[in-house]
Amino acid sequence: MIQLYAYATSKLETSWLHTFKSLLAFLLSCSSLCLAQEPISIVTTTTILADTAKIIAGPSGRVAFLMGPGVDPHLYKASPNDLRTLTQAAIIFHHGLHLEGTIAEALKRLASRKLVVAVADSLPREKLRVVSGDGATYDPHVWFDISLWMLCADTIRETLARYDPEHAHEYSRRFDELRSSLNDLNSWTRLQIEAIPPAQRLLITAHDAFGYFGRAYGLEVLAIQGVSTESEASLRSINDLVSTIVTRKVPAIFIENTISPKTVEALIQGAEARGHSVKIGGLLLGDSLGDAGTPEETYIGTVRHNVQTITAALTDSELRRTP
Amino acid sequence: MSLIEHLTSYNALIVLIGTAILGLACGVVGTFTVLRERALIGDCVAHAALPGITIAFLTFHNRSFMVLFLGAIVAGLVSAWCISIICSFTRLKSDSAIAIVLSCSFGLGLTLSRMIQNTPRGASAGLDSFIFGKAASISSSDVVTISCVAAVTIIATLLLRKEFALLCFDRHFATTQGYPVKLLDILLMTLVCLCTAAGLPAVGAVMVVALLIFPAATARLWTDSLSKVLILAGGFGGISCVGGVIASAAVPTSIAPTGLPTGPLIVLCAALLFVVSFLLAPRHGAFMAQLKGRSQAHG
Amino acid sequence: MSTPAIEVHDLCVTYGHKPVLWDVDVNIPQGTLTAIIGPNGAGKSTLLKAILGLVPITSGYTRTLGASVSAVRGEIAYVPQRESVDWDFPVSVLDVVLMGRYGKIGWFKRPSREDRSTAERCLEMVGMNHAASRQISQLSGGQQQRVFLARALAQEASLYLMDEPFAGVDATTEQAIIEMLRNLRSAGKTVITVHHDLQTAPEYFDWMVLLNFHLVAAGPTNTVFTPDNLQKTFGGKLSILDRVSEAVRTGQTREAQDSSTQVT
Repeated sequence: MIQLYAYATSKLETSWLHTFKSLLAFLLSCSSLCLAQEPISIVTTTTILADTAKIIAGPSGRVAFLMGPGVDPHLYKASPNDLRTLTQAAIIFHHGLHLEGTIAEALKRLASRKLVVAVADSLPREKLRVVSGDGATYDPHVWFDISLWMLCADTIRETLARYDPEHAHEYSRRFDELRSSLNDLNSWTRLQIEAIPPAQRLLITAHDAFGYFGRAYGLEVLAIQGVSTESEASLRSINDLVSTIVTRKVPAIFIENTISPKTVEALIQGAEARGHSVKIGGLLLGDSLGDAGTPEETYIGTVRHNVQTITAALTDSELRRTP
Repeated sequence: MSLIEHLTSYNALIVLIGTAILGLACGVVGTFTVLRERALIGDCVAHAALPGITIAFLTFHNRSFMVLFLGAIVAGLVSAWCISIICSFTRLKSDSAIAIVLSCSFGLGLTLSRMIQNTPRGASAGLDSFIFGKAASISSSDVVTISCVAAVTIIATLLLRKEFALLCFDRHFATTQGYPVKLLDILLMTLVCLCTAAGLPAVGAVMVVALLIFPAATARLWTDSLSKVLILAGGFGGISCVGGVIASAAVPTSIAPTGLPTGPLIVLCAALLFVVSFLLAPRHGAFMAQLKGRSQAHG
Repeated sequence: MSTPAIEVHDLCVTYGHKPVLWDVDVNIPQGTLTAIIGPNGAGKSTLLKAILGLVPITSGYTRTLGASVSAVRGEIAYVPQRESVDWDFPVSVLDVVLMGRYGKIGWFKRPSREDRSTAERCLEMVGMNHAASRQISQLSGGQQQRVFLARALAQEASLYLMDEPFAGVDATTEQAIIEMLRNLRSAGKTVITVHHDLQTAPEYFDWMVLLNFHLVAAGPTNTVFTPDNLQKTFGGKLSILDRVSEAVRTGQTREAQDSSTQVT
């Protein structure tokens, strides 16, 4: 029986081998075609990074993010699902500078196997805001200084070009487009903020996500909590802020999408008790972009939203109407 | 701003009033918890508040204090019920049952809060503050809630003082007198749950049990009369809270640039009162015991 | 005196899966001073608790003064074992005695002046009125027992159930207590106590329930307190245990044999 089988296969061998070879060739060509077309798998931590990476990568990248809108990156803890997403990625972009407090360890471990890029870490140190006395801790919320964010975007472009040199020119082209619209946004923002009366250029918000924004556009920024959302607002800091609000007649303070509005309410009530009415100026998007499907789902949309909210609340005040 | 200015500001007054009332209520209710040897159940109930809050948030998509408050109370009662179920259907002693329910509910709570945190439109912000509390941002509406809860629990405790005393001292004798001890136990548990839930925004789930136990334990060192224990426990509770708030405002900026959080300082204050009482209380204090022992040895 | 003070019918009580009382059937007439006698672990306290409805009954039923126990709570006074409570509890002697009035006072109300004077009178009856304001942790064992008795007296009941009232008390206290119990009897009350001292039993009590897991005998002291019955109550314990363990052992061997036959 075995002999019969061997005979049959030897007879069939030539034709079989032929089909098999052609099939293999087809499959190979197919897969190489697929490889060429397969977009680079990019994973970012925040929506802010995801938006910019998406723009620069264009069709050659597929971008996923871990922290959705309204998620606080300081307190975010990685789930097993996230780790799977991260291990499947080709490139991982995160902010660095300790923004992602709890996920940093996981990223550090992945760095030996993957291209893990801390976008804000590449910024020149002299451009960063120091937040602690030892001079070694920097404010990670760089994205609201548009010129700094352009540098970050350039890091993203460079990383992509290094990983996929074939399309480097395309990345450069998209980056240039992005840069010109960011330049427009930058000058627009400057104009908007300059329209606020100088005495009222005081931004009080729940936590310190707007330090760079204030520095870049000439707003004084006071935060209710520290740089990270983890620290509790102490009675002393709330009292100091109430005094500031009352003495400088601040018309509005702002809440953020990742912060409990409770502390802000405490400030409003405190000022109320001292005879100064301060209102909630609106919701600023601090540590993430807005919800998908809204104009704020992009970086540019978010910046516009924040700037408009701030200027509207700080300009349109009782103080200004009364001569 | 001077310390006095800090403490007389509107926000400080709100925090002072809110926490003082809370401390008073916790002290009074905690007295019977301690006497009923149910101190750990208070801890369990407080930890169970966390899944209660998260489930309430997930169900109603609402962050208002009232919704979360009810969630905490229901979860607390369920956990107390679970403990009694475990005790009566297994051979486990109550300490193991409490440990089981406590860790389970806290685990569940952390898992759920993680789920909320990582979902888009999480807006979980503020839920975290229920674990450790944010005393400094107590608002006037919180004070109203705390006051209502305090009024209900204190009045109920004082009205039922006789029944609770009987329950705690001699449960079987209470039964033979025709008092429904199960119902009384549930009532006491409900009062504990109310106090715990009201204390969550101020000192948080992890530490609120300290407010239940420390004042009562401290008061017990000073007197042998139940009425006086109740009054003193209420007083010590209030004083601990006020002390914690003052300490939080008084810490110089050179030590802590952003100030120290209020909740933990309240607990430390309560602990300090206990330690001082433990050393100095006239009848049950360690120092007096030493003195007595020595005089007896001499005599 | 037609209704018995206590009727117990086919009573079985188990803790978990362990039977404590088995098929106990006894009537105790009113106006007696009764002792429940038996060795340690014979279920004496459990019988008392079952009558009071403090432990769940597996089968059978009990009636008290011709009714269910919950209907006549006000007529029953109870003295639990001294060790069953925390004597460091922050109350005074008078507070404890006042607890005997709580059933009559009702919910939410405070003890009245009358309740206080009743409590003080009861304290006087046990010779403890000098210690009314003392904290209970300062009492000696005998004094604690007297306070518990005063609390039962304050209940002004017609049926007194006492769990080991003579345990750990000195001779004078014991005499004072038995004097009190006799007074109660002459006032027409029924007193049932758990007792374990065989020497004093026939002198103190006119009625007896001899108990050891089963009921051994019950009736007036002169008919029941016989060497034969005592042998059954106390000496018999060993033999019962032997029989039980024998049964368990044979059961296990049979099971083992069964399973071994199944395997092969």
